[in-house]
Amino acid sequence: MSKVAAVPPSPLRAFWLKWRFHINVLLLLVPLGFMPKYFADAALFRGDAGIGERVAGEVQVGPWSLTLAEFRNEGPSPDPAGPMKFFNASLCDTCANQVKATYLRIGKPRSLRAAGVIFFGTPYRMGAALPIPERTPADAEVWITMEGWDGSMHQGSIPLSQASPATIAWLNKQGVKP
Amino acid sequence: MTLMRLTRACGVLLLSAGFSTVALAHNPMCECKEIPGEQIQCKGGFSDGSGAPGVTLDVIGYDETILLPGKLGEDSTLTFKKPSAEFYVLFDAGPGHVVEIDQADIQPQ
Repeated sequence: MSKVAAVPPSPLRAFWLKWRFHINVLLLLVPLGFMPKYFADAALFRGDAGIGERVAGEVQVGPWSLTLAEFRNEGPSPDPAGPMKFFNASLCDTCANQVKATYLRIGKPRSLRAAGVIFFGTPYRMGAALPIPERTPADAEVWITMEGWDGSMHQGSIPLSQASPATIAWLNKQGVKP
Repeated sequence: MTLMRLTRACGVLLLSAGFSTVALAHNPMCECKEIPGEQIQCKGGFSDGSGAPGVTLDVIGYDETILLPGKLGEDSTLTFKKPSAEFYVLFDAGPGHVVEIDQADIQPQ
């Protein structure tokens, strides 16, 4: 008899040797629990699930219009530059070729320079991260500014409560800041 | 040994998956404070931690006249005399990359 076989394995090692195959099968099963979220996210990112989790509606901006959606149906996410809420949008079919830039801002912009954050991406699926000031009132309006290739500028607005009820809920939870 | 290596590899993978969403965007940031001597000091930067030397920072009146056209210095700050008229500060790093700070939000430090 060899010397190695004579030493009985520790209880932990005995447990591992006995159950290792079962434990590994369990490990293989763990990812299955994350599959629904994974496929939902993949569909959202690819656009198979539409332009966002919740479509807020169509906003008329002068002669143009766009469909505004919340990327996630939830409140703003924390960021070093302050809480950010992600919106997606798609331009109307006829205006995709006419609009140069689309901006988003809480409250009416003072000027085109201060029109807010710009939408990135294709006209059919654009995204923007809108900073939500802590002192945003619950009756605030989200203003959309569109700049055309011909130099024209048009503005439109939608109540924040309609654009993102989740953000209103988040603001109410934060409480009114002085 | 293999198990340990596997655990470590999984850990690295999870960590990188976690950080990948954080590094998506770098948003402009700007803070202004009132300093002694009726002066206002503004500091600009981006949310990824980088500074903003040379970026435009204009002081604009409520009537949209530019009271003080400026650029941030090497240390990403700009100090200017508080205007007598009502104003706001516009940190302008390009179209759609702006931060507006109203005079009401500038507190003495």
